[in-house]
Amino acid sequence: MNHLEFRNICKSYGSAKALDGVDLSLRGGQVHALMGENGAGKSTLIKVLAGVVHADALTAKVDGIEITLTSAQAAQRVGFRFIHQELNIVPQVSVAENMLLGRTFPRRFGLAVDWRKVNARAQDALAFLGADHINVGAPAGDLNTGDRMLMKIAAAFVFDPVTDERAVLYVLDEPTAALTSAESELLFDVIGRLAATGAAVLYVSHRIDEVLRICDSVTVLRDGQLVSSGPTSETNKAQIIRDMTGRDVADAYPTAAAAPRPNLIVGMAGVSAGPLSDITFELRAGEVIGIAGLANAGQSILLETFMGLNPITSGHAQLQGGALPRSPEHAWKRGVAYLPKERRSEGLMLNMSIRSNIALPHLTGVQASVRRERQMAETLGRQMRLKCEHLDQPVAQLSGGNQQKVLFARALHGLPDLVLLDEPTRGVDVGAKYDIYCTVREASSKGCAVLMTSSDLPELLGMCDRILVLQDGRQAHMLDCDGLSSSDLLSYFYAPKAA
Amino acid sequence: MTHTLRQSGTLLGFAAILVFLTVQLPGTFLTTQNLINITQQLSMLAVVAATMTIVMVMNDFDLSVGSMASLSGIVAAVLFSMGFPVWFGLLAALGVGLIGGLFNGFLVSVLGILPFVATLGTLTVFSGTAFLISDGKTIFGRDIPAGFSGFARAGIDINNVKVPFLTLAALAVIAVCWFVLEQTNFGRRLYAIGGNREAAYLAGIRVKRLRLVAFALTGLGAAGAGLMYAARVASANPTQGSGLMLDAIAAVFLGMTMSRYGEPRVMYTLIGVLMLGVLDNGLTQLRVDSYIREILVGLIVISAVATASFSKQTRRV
Repeated sequence: MNHLEFRNICKSYGSAKALDGVDLSLRGGQVHALMGENGAGKSTLIKVLAGVVHADALTAKVDGIEITLTSAQAAQRVGFRFIHQELNIVPQVSVAENMLLGRTFPRRFGLAVDWRKVNARAQDALAFLGADHINVGAPAGDLNTGDRMLMKIAAAFVFDPVTDERAVLYVLDEPTAALTSAESELLFDVIGRLAATGAAVLYVSHRIDEVLRICDSVTVLRDGQLVSSGPTSETNKAQIIRDMTGRDVADAYPTAAAAPRPNLIVGMAGVSAGPLSDITFELRAGEVIGIAGLANAGQSILLETFMGLNPITSGHAQLQGGALPRSPEHAWKRGVAYLPKERRSEGLMLNMSIRSNIALPHLTGVQASVRRERQMAETLGRQMRLKCEHLDQPVAQLSGGNQQKVLFARALHGLPDLVLLDEPTRGVDVGAKYDIYCTVREASSKGCAVLMTSSDLPELLGMCDRILVLQDGRQAHMLDCDGLSSSDLLSYFYAPKAA
Repeated sequence: MTHTLRQSGTLLGFAAILVFLTVQLPGTFLTTQNLINITQQLSMLAVVAATMTIVMVMNDFDLSVGSMASLSGIVAAVLFSMGFPVWFGLLAALGVGLIGGLFNGFLVSVLGILPFVATLGTLTVFSGTAFLISDGKTIFGRDIPAGFSGFARAGIDINNVKVPFLTLAALAVIAVCWFVLEQTNFGRRLYAIGGNREAAYLAGIRVKRLRLVAFALTGLGAAGAGLMYAARVASANPTQGSGLMLDAIAAVFLGMTMSRYGEPRVMYTLIGVLMLGVLDNGLTQLRVDSYIREILVGLIVISAVATASFSKQTRRV
């Protein structure tokens, strides 16, 4: 069993201390959680371990022997393996090539790439993960989000006879952010097996329930400093939230203020559209309906239908008495607001200001008015508790949670009639999550109808009045959330549709 | 700090060039007459570069502006030689620019062809058309009405300095482009498309229509520049605009090194245009061989852009 010791990790960017004397102690065979709000220093800590960022001070020991982490290669040599949160893939090349990217490809005669071996190694790694349904020869761009994540994770297990020492540490940076519950279960199983090899596992996650379930110990950072570190058996959810935020956060979800109103916003009867079929539901003002199911059961596509991106082929669909919008432009004009799943690629203009990002769908008239845009951004920013230096700051400089708040501000300007939220709290820390929940509640109490997807089942149960379960694009169940538990909900993902 | 350094690098370079030329060419470079000459020489490039900025704001570009400038000059000249009045020739040439630009926009936004490929294609189409209708010959002399070429020689007296009409026309186009890009919601939306096209579309921006319009404006600008050129040399031939395209793109790139996040801005494009024009004028006066001049201009553009991207903090790939 390995014992990894990191003492007095310090890293400053200018005058800002990203890490201020943090200690971390990991034992082989154990899963250790690293938690903290966005900006607490988790990412910097991981980058230091990966050798990508050079710490100002650091003593690192593996089994009592001092090591240096001066480059990514050095970290690789001592046996550190990293699985990152961002799904950076090269879509046009095969899964196998993506998995071996950055490594030495096996060669024939020292020259030509030995594709058979490349594919075999990728295949082995996927099999180890229990994900051998993925075809290693297929272009990576063809995979769905869950499979892409599995591919990235499996890449850390590719056997490499040239450089591979035995792995002593696996670092998983929010691996479940993009996974559905079933896929997460698969991953937890893998994590157990990784620990069983004797390696230490450092697990970074925002999901406290997950951490309490699968981790042996937990370290919490706040503002670059170590707040607590110890076995998970000696702490609990409320304590972890207090450690992370430095205050008490009402853990649960804000309660619904009012019952849904009678006026109908959306009526769907036997609608088919693209991969969707049998969609039948009514959504009233002030009501929140969740859309759930296994990965890619059509959750996002159902939301896109209301943006005019997925025209209906049969059945009767209406939005406030009229037909569904024909295009996103039309949708925004009709009072439909949309928060896309991929914040960075589908939501934000990263190099542009907070103000421009918020105002974009709400620009009216010919002449631009900075004053009006600023007023809009100020009001909404305050309402959303947006943390920023000033409103002309580019959104790229904000944390994930604050970026998401910018998108919410954009969506909620002028109080839309229908709000479409695709994974609204993905990659968002606890404090910001709670702010977001409150915002959704407030909007729905003012009469917004909300349709939301989430792979976080407690979140769906906490926020929604009813949950629509999709199976392969087909509406299988419509459940009332009262008295429903996560495991009940999960079982409905598999249960056949009642006749 | 690095930000301001990065942004001001090009300006410092420009200042250095100005100082160098003032010292090397005492009494001839920094004179009112020479500076006025420079603005007149530059007016065509300024118009093309300013309207090129409109498409480059969306991360697109238009390679066909040079051959469009040639074509518009030819169209006007051919109509003049057939006896049509000046106003008709001008309108027809501008109409050709608008239609050509719309065609570019159609290829790029409706058919979804990469701007590089689409406008490379129309570059040869426009150029071929210019050769076809002019029979490959230069149209000059009595075919060009005095009312047309006279415009380029005339100007307005301001404090005993004759400011040429061409300079004023370029200033007007720049002012319009600045207003459109910086002061209208249309401009805001173009910058949003450049920032993230997918996100802009999902936020309700009519991306296809806006790209179409932007390309049309660039085509219109190119045609205008072609007319200015034809008026200035009182003739039209099917290749006379071809040098404009690369210089215009270079000017926008020089300008982008000065803006905060590397986005194109009309006023910075104008500085880029001035840099290229001042260099050209100064080096000609210094009797530097024109081939060497080209090499120098190319190297200066590269070094400005390289300085800007090297000093960016987060450059990794």
